Amino acid sequence: MNRRQALKNVAFLMGGAISATTMGVLFESFTVPEKEKNFITFSASDEETLAEFAEIIIPTTTSSAGAKAAGLGAFIPMMVRDCYPAKMQEIFANGLQAMNERCTKEFNKSFISLTTAERVQIVTELKDEALAANKTPSFFIIARDLTILGYFSSEIGCTAAREYLPVPGRYDGSAPYSPGQKAWATN
Amino acid sequence: MNINTDLKKQNTYDAIVVGSGISGGWAAKELTEKGLKVLMLERGMNIEHIKDYDSAMKSPWEFEHAGKLTEEQKRTHPVQTRDYPYNEATEKWWVNDLECPYTEDKRFDWYRGFHVGGKSLMWGRQSYRFSDHNFEDNAKDGHGNDWPIRYKDISPWYDYAEKFIGVSGQNENWPLLPDGHFLPPMDLNCVEKSVKERIEKQYNKSRILTIGRTANLTVPHNGRGNCQYRNLCSRGCPFGAYFSTQSSTLPAAMATKRLTVRPYSIVNHIIYDKDTKKAKGVMVIDAETNETMEFYAKIVFVNGSTLGSTFVLLNSTSEAHPTGLGNGSGQLGHNLMDHHFRCGAEGSAEGFEDKYTYGRRANGIYIPRYQNIGNDKRDYLRGFGYQGGASRGSWHKEVAELAFGQNFKETMSLPADSWSMGLGGFGEMLPYYENKVYIDHTKKDKWGQPVLAIDCEYKENEAKMREDMMNDAAEMLEAAGMKNVKAYDNDCYPGMAIHEMGTARMGNDPKTSVLNKWNQMHEVNNVFVTDGSCMPSIACQNPSLTFMALTARACDYAVKELKKGNI
Repeated sequence: MNRRQALKNVAFLMGGAISATTMGVLFESFTVPEKEKNFITFSASDEETLAEFAEIIIPTTTSSAGAKAAGLGAFIPMMVRDCYPAKMQEIFANGLQAMNERCTKEFNKSFISLTTAERVQIVTELKDEALAANKTPSFFIIARDLTILGYFSSEIGCTAAREYLPVPGRYDGSAPYSPGQKAWATN
Repeated sequence: MNINTDLKKQNTYDAIVVGSGISGGWAAKELTEKGLKVLMLERGMNIEHIKDYDSAMKSPWEFEHAGKLTEEQKRTHPVQTRDYPYNEATEKWWVNDLECPYTEDKRFDWYRGFHVGGKSLMWGRQSYRFSDHNFEDNAKDGHGNDWPIRYKDISPWYDYAEKFIGVSGQNENWPLLPDGHFLPPMDLNCVEKSVKERIEKQYNKSRILTIGRTANLTVPHNGRGNCQYRNLCSRGCPFGAYFSTQSSTLPAAMATKRLTVRPYSIVNHIIYDKDTKKAKGVMVIDAETNETMEFYAKIVFVNGSTLGSTFVLLNSTSEAHPTGLGNGSGQLGHNLMDHHFRCGAEGSAEGFEDKYTYGRRANGIYIPRYQNIGNDKRDYLRGFGYQGGASRGSWHKEVAELAFGQNFKETMSLPADSWSMGLGGFGEMLPYYENKVYIDHTKKDKWGQPVLAIDCEYKENEAKMREDMMNDAAEMLEAAGMKNVKAYDNDCYPGMAIHEMGTARMGNDPKTSVLNKWNQMHEVNNVFVTDGSCMPSIACQNPSLTFMALTARACDYAVKELKKGNI
């Protein structure tokens, strides 16, 4: 029977929202030669761009502030520098630059100067390309993954988007759930 | 005044305990409570209960890297990063692999923590008794050597250990998993209750599902607080709600005022006295200064973790013991075992969308071994149990790939649309003489010591068992009404279960074993080894409770023998 085929379903176990690329980098191991560390640096305007990019991924809504307010503009480049191998840093940096070039080409403006609708258009193009490329590592994949990771572990993500309960004090495995009730911030 | 005599006196104790983890802490408690003046040596740093649990009360946003590892941590911890336990919140507990290398003749993931408390701070807390089936399997099928004890020998010591540490769980009257003295069990959640009912009906109670028996307190116990259901045990518990050296055995030992703890003390070898044919003490390297020093005692308890202890014994060579202390049998370093796991099945549960969890239970379900017993016959020896559980996580199968935007955010802020239930097998590995460790003199650790080489692999019996670990799980989940059942095998290498055992086994015959039925060395009667290295077989249950019971039992015997003048 097919279902008895062993699956490498780490992503299934961990929650499918994060891509296999990020799974590999953040959760599996490989050793990076010393000389390949800290390949890339980011400017203040890169951080601004990344904050606006993240805000498109997880925007401010009536219920809670979005990724920009959660500090993702600084979080994403810090994570790329500290937690990704040189090759992935390079893919990320080149992709960030390519996104800005695309903005110039299509709108004659930088990403930060685009309207929200224009940003969504650009990000949608990147998403479609990532899907077409079978989700091989790209700027979009990495930045989106880090936005999700960073947002839902930020104070805003944990306490406003979701509900944070630091010391439950008891366990109820059959608690009532009413539609719309937020997810717990931690498992 | 003779300074040397004074120094010797100052460095002399009734007993030395090498290691401060689960079994070392127990040895220190038992020996001090029985009146001995004890020195407990720990190779790593001191960890003070609560105060040094740096990350225990941190919120998710207080971690710089959202819990993830940096490239620098991956570089310095190439082994510890091979699996999940080492992360930003727990990084303090795991060794820098570059400082203490070892040789892998075959891949072996060696997870280590050098600090007072050892792995008692990081352990999984699942606490199960071995049954007579487990103690008899070696004798029955001829793998390994016969256990020198049976359940009746250890049963009162299981009682004693459980009562002291506090184990929550449910008695089930299951022949392969003896009942114990339990605090109230944690609750099964709504999906687990349904799965339990349907599995037990389907298999007519020839398989059962119970709540995990865990050394987490469900009610206050012996002055310690009960579990707060945060599921952050791996950071150290500020409520003292799970058993660790710090929360449990160390305070008891300290209360006697007969315990001295010396951190940063690497035991390099045990000093053998050829005239008395006993150990006279240990040689220690100070991990901070690299100074060497000696400590002396009437008895030595070796509790440095299976491979740590085995290294010390192999490294304790002398004219009388040229291949390691007490190694006349040639078995020291051999028969290395670990559980094999990381395979099973998962499925989703429908019909529970109006239920959710409150609180985070650091425990799961347990299905004790049911294979190769009664009418259940398999094409391999021994068997496995399952650990797992149901949860309503945050995985949304309806979210389109790489989605983003407002709807995505709102969906991700809700719990998953359905519950999922997983069963992961935990299988017994047979003892194989050729699975071994030995000292590799071609490499040195940070302190100039030679290193351990590990040559260990799973074999055909384990491979066959893994098929059933997947298939049985998938069948049970389907019988329990789960949908989208998927079997998985995420690969497993020895060491990953962090249940390495067997390299200084007990036995009745000095020709085929290192330790006797009291965990006492056949050849050096004032040396006792009561950590995982003593195990002639490993069953499929989590082993720490057995180490505790064996340690308490050995301490009782050792002190009686000491008082009789026999050692």
